[in-house]
Amino acid sequence: STLTPFAEVEDTLKRIQGINGVIGTIVVNAEGIPIKTTLDNSTTVQYAGLLHQLTMKARSTVRDIDPQNDLTFLRIRSKKHEIMVSTDKEYLLIVIQNPAE
Amino acid sequence: MADRSDLKAELERKKQRLAQIREEKKRREEERKKKESEMLQRAENVSEDSDLDRRRRETEALLQSIGISPEPPLVPTPMSPSSQSVSPPSETGSQESIDGGTVGRTLQWDTDPSALQLLADSVHGCRMQKLGASKIVQIDFMPKELVTYSKETQTPVASHQPEEEDEELSVTKSEPVPLQLEEENSQEAEEVHPRELTNEEKEQTTHSEDFLFFFDRSIRVMERVLAEDTDIFFDYSGRDMEDKEGDMQAGSNLSFNRHFYDEHWSKHRVVTSLDWSPQYPELLVASYNTNEDAPHEPDGVLMVWNMKFKKMTPEYIFHCQSSVMSVGFAQFHPNLVIGGTYSGQIALWDNRSHRRTPVQRTPLSATAHTHPVYCVNVVGTQNANNLITVSTDGKMCSWSLDMLSQPQESMELIYNKSKPVAVTCMAFPASDVNNYVVGSEEGTVYTASRHGSKAGIGEMFDGHQGPVTGISCHNAVGPVDFSHLFTTSSFDWTVKLWSTKHNKPLYSFEDNADYVYDVMWSPAHPALFATVDGNGRLDLWNLNNYTEVPSASVTVEGGCALNRVRWASGGREVAVGDSEGCVWIYDVGELAVPHTDDWSKFARTLMEIRANRGDGEEEGALELPA
Repeated sequence: STLTPFAEVEDTLKRIQGINGVIGTIVVNAEGIPIKTTLDNSTTVQYAGLLHQLTMKARSTVRDIDPQNDLTFLRIRSKKHEIMVSTDKEYLLIVIQNPAE
Repeated sequence: MADRSDLKAELERKKQRLAQIREEKKRREEERKKKESEMLQRAENVSEDSDLDRRRRETEALLQSIGISPEPPLVPTPMSPSSQSVSPPSETGSQESIDGGTVGRTLQWDTDPSALQLLADSVHGCRMQKLGASKIVQIDFMPKELVTYSKETQTPVASHQPEEEDEELSVTKSEPVPLQLEEENSQEAEEVHPRELTNEEKEQTTHSEDFLFFFDRSIRVMERVLAEDTDIFFDYSGRDMEDKEGDMQAGSNLSFNRHFYDEHWSKHRVVTSLDWSPQYPELLVASYNTNEDAPHEPDGVLMVWNMKFKKMTPEYIFHCQSSVMSVGFAQFHPNLVIGGTYSGQIALWDNRSHRRTPVQRTPLSATAHTHPVYCVNVVGTQNANNLITVSTDGKMCSWSLDMLSQPQESMELIYNKSKPVAVTCMAFPASDVNNYVVGSEEGTVYTASRHGSKAGIGEMFDGHQGPVTGISCHNAVGPVDFSHLFTTSSFDWTVKLWSTKHNKPLYSFEDNADYVYDVMWSPAHPALFATVDGNGRLDLWNLNNYTEVPSASVTVEGGCALNRVRWASGGREVAVGDSEGCVWIYDVGELAVPHTDDWSKFARTLMEIRANRGDGEEEGALELPA
């Protein structure tokens, strides 16, 4: 057996979605195109596009300060939600959560 | 002399020649100059021929075509490109015209350009300028656009697409396109059409190894983050001060902390073994045996759980084709996990590899084990360490972790030259690499040693009436050395305390009402040990308090049998594995904290125990040489 088998990817995403407070999960590729999502299409495209750009900007900020450095995680806390973006060179994993009060 | 005269003549001739040439040159130059001046003049004339002249010529041509011959020649007069000359010719022309042109002073153009052209051509031949109506070229110079970035236009939102497309088209039509605009265009063009991936492409991407690797890593992090529910905005002033820490019962000795359970991998499996990581105290590995309900799933499962984060999913999941009966973190190799399986193979997993299957396995051969391996232990030091494994056929093998293809040494544990010992559990006293104790299926306990004159089984300790399920050597380090003590648990509902110096138990703890499945001394407190039994009870015995009853006891939720108990290295937490695949973590309160006098107290307790024992009936009790 290899890495997390594909079926478990689906299960894992469902499980994440089931965590209390999680509104949606999106996986985005390097070009900003959503690959997997639990939200509706228009919202997904909006989030994917905006967050992709923001991540690019954040990444370039990090690298401008120190070229050896790279962005790994981005967390945006707003009044209503928390958006968490885990990223590496190629993909983004975006989770939108309503932090439980 | 004749020569000289000849020469002279020649010289003369040559001079003349030269002179002629010079003259010719001069003449040519003059001519050229003339020509040039003429040309210049002509050029000047030509350049002075502005649109006006051209048009004048055209006018005259037209006039001629109609029949009005202009007085001045067609070749434009160089020096008088004035508007005056325009009208007189036309006037005179008109006056002189006899042809039925009858054109007045003011000419009226025939609006049909093609007719004029034809006439012009036919009447005047090649001399005429070819006329033709020119296509009206409307050149729009767009005002210089100020490039501003507005977020809406940049975002590839579906509803904005048609608007952006129009903008794109109109922009590209304009000719002087500033460079910025072009860049914005290309950017917009890319974003306007965010290539929607087809389902196949999506499938392909999600199956790719890169993606799975990223996903594995990211999900781990994300789950930890999601599980954290600390509210950073908590306002102590304006809100009700709800006590959120209801779980922690201050002062209680044994309180539930959390449990680890995975829907998929824990279900219907028994926790066969537990071990805490020596390197990262928050990591705990649990091994599970087969899931009878899922024959297609791997028989052996290991999961590494993390205490530090609240997420309910394991850090790592490992598989094996055979049930894993015992597991341990390789003490001197931080990334390795060792498991002894039901088939007798020893499997080695590495958390650096992304595979879930073992990276190494011992062979299934007669040189290794052919019976289930219930005990694995790494002993030694950083530089010289060995993996000791014992199977139920009495075979002990010593391995080097670098080479698992064959054991470094193997030994049959035979007592008294008769049959081998069926070992179910094994323990090494603290800091001893040679001598160890084993418990057997018959209920007898033996000491054994690896090397030396008495290699193999040493002494026999008789006392239990059922198979020994767990054995634990005292390992709390303190002022007094109790390393000769060990405890055993058994199916006979008892837990017994032994010393390696006596072949009869020092004490028997009989508070349980079911098989006692495991026992372990606390790593911190000298008089404390934990036991678990088939009723779901977790007991903590503090011998400095009571020896008759446990000092703390709790029944785990669900009431299923508890198979394993393991203290965390700090001695403040206890991990318990049950028969339903759930791992429970309990916090131990004040009871677990050793005090400096605990050691001396325990020494006194031991003396009392010995004294009591001495009073009771003892048959065949022997004082064994140390």
